[in-house]
Amino acid sequence: MNVLDFARDHLAITGCGSVVGNGCDPAPFLKIRKMRKFMGPHDDLAVIAASRPVQAAALPASLGERAGLYLAVGFIPFERADLDVLVDASVAGGAFSMDRFSTTAFSTLNPLLTFRCLPNMPAFHVSFNLDLQGPYWVGYPGIGQFYVALEEASAALADGAIDVALVGGVADQENFLVRHHFSRLDPPVDPAKLQSAAGFIVLERRTDAGRRGATLRGRLRCCRISYEPADPFERSDAYEEKIETVAFNGLAHDPGELGPASLAVALATAAPGTLSHQARSRDRFSADSEWELT
Amino acid sequence: MRHRVVVTGMGVVAPTGQSVDEFLDSLLSGRSGARRISLFDPASLPTRVAAEVTWTRSDFRDRKIAFAMHAAEQAVEEAAACGSAPGGEGGLSLGIGLELFSMEDAVAAKHGDPVPSARRDRLTFLQTPSDLCVSMLAARFGLTAPPATHVSACAAGTDAVGNAFHLIAQGRRRWMLAGGADSMINPLGVAGFCSIGAMSTSNDDPPRASRPFDRRRNGFVLGEGAGMLVLERLADAVERGAPIHAEIVGYGTSFDAHGISEPHPEGRGAFQAMKRAIDDARVEPGAIDSINAHGTSTPKNDLVETLAIKRLLGPRAYQVPVSSTKSMIGHLISAAGAVETVAAIACMKADWVHPTINLDEPDEACDLDYVANVARRHPQQYVLSSSFAFGGQNASILLRHWPPC
Repeated sequence: MNVLDFARDHLAITGCGSVVGNGCDPAPFLKIRKMRKFMGPHDDLAVIAASRPVQAAALPASLGERAGLYLAVGFIPFERADLDVLVDASVAGGAFSMDRFSTTAFSTLNPLLTFRCLPNMPAFHVSFNLDLQGPYWVGYPGIGQFYVALEEASAALADGAIDVALVGGVADQENFLVRHHFSRLDPPVDPAKLQSAAGFIVLERRTDAGRRGATLRGRLRCCRISYEPADPFERSDAYEEKIETVAFNGLAHDPGELGPASLAVALATAAPGTLSHQARSRDRFSADSEWELT
Repeated sequence: MRHRVVVTGMGVVAPTGQSVDEFLDSLLSGRSGARRISLFDPASLPTRVAAEVTWTRSDFRDRKIAFAMHAAEQAVEEAAACGSAPGGEGGLSLGIGLELFSMEDAVAAKHGDPVPSARRDRLTFLQTPSDLCVSMLAARFGLTAPPATHVSACAAGTDAVGNAFHLIAQGRRRWMLAGGADSMINPLGVAGFCSIGAMSTSNDDPPRASRPFDRRRNGFVLGEGAGMLVLERLADAVERGAPIHAEIVGYGTSFDAHGISEPHPEGRGAFQAMKRAIDDARVEPGAIDSINAHGTSTPKNDLVETLAIKRLLGPRAYQVPVSSTKSMIGHLISAAGAVETVAAIACMKADWVHPTINLDEPDEACDLDYVANVARRHPQQYVLSSSFAFGGQNASILLRHWPPC
């Protein structure tokens, strides 16, 4: 087991933002309203949750070339309604018919389906609306990859590749296909517990943030990630996720069911104090971090 | 302290070769892997051609997992051929394609068929999560460092290799298995690309359907496969006597922040990614000896990529060979960057640049030296390889000949 420790005491959180639950309206954050038609629920979540901390950090509306995006996205949320139309139009004699699929079903295929579910689309919409032209890292599908994104952001800030890191997690989990996935695991996850969520934090070098007069909202005290490879077809009942707070308890959501967004949502919703997060994920990550929020 | 990073193992599963030697031969002979789709009956879909891998094994339902495992076996075996394996704890950086969605299963589920009870079948019924591939590779090769799973679409393969390079160079990992795997040649994958008009509809002549930079190009040809590389510190490789294929010296990424399905009209993001890779290596653009282009054969990409290269290299752009691997193997989506990195390294080692085939009537606006149709002997010190994703994520990686001249 390889334990990585990348605590970066010189980094500061200057903004946090989150959203939990589908049905939120990203319109106030869109640069061009007509882009809305290309957006699925995870895109909506990401744009809202990413825009809030950028505003909170008092960063310019155009982040430009010196800002990077580090994002972990959840499982792919194809929409049931879109797929049902395709499936219904593809059946002949009770079985899938390629001939029907290529004629009847294909003519019903909404081209927007291609855009709304792809895992790199939340990154596109965030970059587009915030005019973020810097480097990126986009991973999948759980909290372990959020920690890897955090490591990447931390390294990019440390070596001066960027000045601002937008680090987030997003998952549309109120979705039939995502729930199908979690329900077949061993042990299964109660689909009713899965919530859609997105959370982002803005990280900057402490000195730079102070120089531009940004309000420091917290810092990462320590962080460790480890990984233990295992056959994915074996039972995994080791999953657990804990978020503990000291001196306050401001968490509004069960932290264990927000996928890659859980830690960022916790940071965005917590009151000042110390927040510690521990995760042992189904994909065999172990990670923990401690944050001081002001 | 920045470590120098070298490639000590490579593996590939491509439409035109399932070993690096076979793949290189096919590239230099300009052979196309495109043909009529055989994996399913494309029936009346607008596009009925693809570059398929001829694959007789049936170990995994999701072909990209099988491709990844086979390419990784080649790479790891080669890296250890000197008698010792890379030292220290290894990690995985993988660019991986979309979860496989089965229309057949969807119909069965709709008609009330039960979800299979066997664990393996249950986990691949209806939708196969792509992180299975990561877990299987990590378990198979004992990769205990936290893995990185890249889902930046067409840029994912280059991102996986580039990220692995940075992880080692910055001292955060000791060695990495890095690459990409994808297969979207299935009904929903092909139909999805058809619905947005991204693919070539030249169904009557499949080997000539992918024609990057040609005036008659009309979209990309979908391919499938995997490319995997073993990356490690130069000092470690030298110490254990490992074969060194190339050095990786730079990696850069950018967002277009422009359009959801079209690149920035001036190639701003493509330029930024290439420039960042070169800056990362601390070399000047004038050092670039050849470019392995993204070169998709779509009207917009090829034009914009040409503009970006001109901006990067200035007047010298006309003297630098630019070739498109996709002219022969199609677009491998999340595997593209990794397989094209393998192609670029193999060609660089051999002192050749492979051709861009089917370039018979160059587009007036695409006026660089694309190595039309015939491979060319061309020693190279630095090769730039780029991938530009649908959604405006751009990645470039800079490779250096080994040994340096």
